[in-house]
Amino acid sequence: MRVLLVEDDQTLGEAVRDHVASSHHAIDWMQTIDDATASVRVVEYGLILLDLRLPDGSGIDFLKTLRAKGDATPVIILTAHDQISDRIEGLNAGADDYLVKPFNLDELTARILAVTRRHSGNSTSVIKVGTLHINIADRSIFSGKDEIILSGREWAVLDKLLSRAGAIVSKPQIEEALYAFGWEVESNTVEVYISRLRKKLGREHVTTVRGVGYKIEGRS
Amino acid sequence: MKNRSMTRRLIFSLTATLIVLWLIATTAGMIVMQDEFGEIFDGSLQATTERLTPLVVDDVLQNAQMPESLRQQSLSESTHKGYLTYQVRDATGKVILHSHDVSATPFVAPLKRGFFQDDFSRFYTVPAANNTIFVQVADSIAHRTEAAVEGGLALLLPVLVLIPVSIIGIWFIVRRSIEPVNDLREAIAGKDGGNLAPIELLTLPRELQPIVASVNRLLERLRSTLKAEREFTANSAHELRTPLAGALAQTQMLKSELRSQSSKARLALIEASLQRLIRLVEKLMQLARAEARIGTANETADLGKVLELVIEDFNRASGANERIQYSKGQAATLRRPVSEDAFAIVLRNLIENALIHGDQKTPVKIDLERGGTIRIANDGPVLSANELESIRHRFSRGKTMSPGSGLGLSIATELASQMGATLELKSPATNASTGFESILHFK
Repeated sequence: MRVLLVEDDQTLGEAVRDHVASSHHAIDWMQTIDDATASVRVVEYGLILLDLRLPDGSGIDFLKTLRAKGDATPVIILTAHDQISDRIEGLNAGADDYLVKPFNLDELTARILAVTRRHSGNSTSVIKVGTLHINIADRSIFSGKDEIILSGREWAVLDKLLSRAGAIVSKPQIEEALYAFGWEVESNTVEVYISRLRKKLGREHVTTVRGVGYKIEGRS
Repeated sequence: MKNRSMTRRLIFSLTATLIVLWLIATTAGMIVMQDEFGEIFDGSLQATTERLTPLVVDDVLQNAQMPESLRQQSLSESTHKGYLTYQVRDATGKVILHSHDVSATPFVAPLKRGFFQDDFSRFYTVPAANNTIFVQVADSIAHRTEAAVEGGLALLLPVLVLIPVSIIGIWFIVRRSIEPVNDLREAIAGKDGGNLAPIELLTLPRELQPIVASVNRLLERLRSTLKAEREFTANSAHELRTPLAGALAQTQMLKSELRSQSSKARLALIEASLQRLIRLVEKLMQLARAEARIGTANETADLGKVLELVIEDFNRASGANERIQYSKGQAATLRRPVSEDAFAIVLRNLIENALIHGDQKTPVKIDLERGGTIRIANDGPVLSANELESIRHRFSRGKTMSPGSGLGLSIATELASQMGATLELKSPATNASTGFESILHFK
């Protein structure tokens, strides 16, 4: 998943960026509303982590503008405003969750997982795909008792497919998910990783819809 | 100095002044009336004497041959007792004729035209027949005094009747006139830390408008001061939290990257200290907010919803370990004109207190009851009455070894008071032999 972090504090921003990246997510870190606005205009994010008090404006206004445009990207507010009225205002503005600073990074991971799960329609962190049990919280995949280990790039492709489980994900969308990590994407890169996923997960779980894209059938 | 009632003072002063003025007016009226009565009586006395004189002279001359006893008898036959008496006297002063109700003893008045007065009567003398006959008519002073007294009473009695009526009238008028002052007093009395809205009494009389203007200016200054204080605490919270969040996040990242167990252990100590510092800062910020009197608010808030949000926060936090059991009474709602933030701070402190100091293996029970009562109960050792009292004080932590700042309950007590609620601390908990219970009652 590609995450947008909007946070002006250098120390906190670096730590959150590294922590989110360590969970196999691609992350873009912006420190102003202007940069964040420019980013959401050109990139489709799976999640936005949004500070409320930024040098060039309020995160709430950014969120309201986003929602007014019909952008339903899940947003978690990260703020030092701890009052319940701030939280109600944030949720009313369209935030999916609200985390008060200082927070534990594990807590942030749990919230990211809960929000993305809710957003993708999965009620639990374990998704069943045929005989596979994919736990997106602890990044484990079991086929019966056998654990399947995926690389970071393979997880990035699988995440993208699972984010729209049952629906078709186009090749450019998968390419974008790989680009987010700053990886080199060649013309056949997507086919290579789809092929590797089929090999590890089982050919029957990843379907090719010729000329349109790929899909994975999963259920919570 | 004893506080005096303005109403009573006004009624008393106005009534006393009115009575005194009425009495002065009545007295002056009586004096004038007595004077006028004197003139009327004198005029009447003079007219009577002068009209009587030719009759008497004629009668005296025609009956000059009659024996004196007969003359006097004929004039004395009438039994009518009048206010006026007369004597006809000759030049020597001898009484020739007199009215039946007066003795033959000559009047003390001299034989000279005009008025004369002694202690008992007022006389008028008219000479006739070349000063050989004198007709003297006397008017009783008692009669005049009686007339004056009756006249005076006629003036005074209505005044005496009107005094109680006027007291009631003055009381009614004063009460009505002072009503705007009472309205203003109540409007000012209704102002506190949570209600500093300007006073809007459009019907106030002109005399009170400057007071309202002054009070409103004062309220505006108070509002600005409190707003500045609240903003300062909110901004301070933000400015303190952000670097702490950075420090904590960097520490946790470093911990995840370290391979050396000894370094990890050392970093865990730093992280624990940071967490303690964060909790202390949190409490001090809450304390500052309580001092800035954030408890009251003008708008009614759905506190039941806030309670559920706070419980959700605790349930999501790893520390609660799903220990919270929340139950809501049938049709129990809680809507009050209090600050949602203050209410949330009170709840967080009470729930946190129950989670930290209660038995870790038993649940913390939270009940929202009908009528505005919230109960937060946990199992644990029983606290004595002295301990229950002391834990309300700042930095008082009782005998517990559990982590805590000793500020939570004092903050909750202060904010509950500002919200118009009472915080009852009870040990053992209701229907239990052990444990602790915080009961928040809203009026």
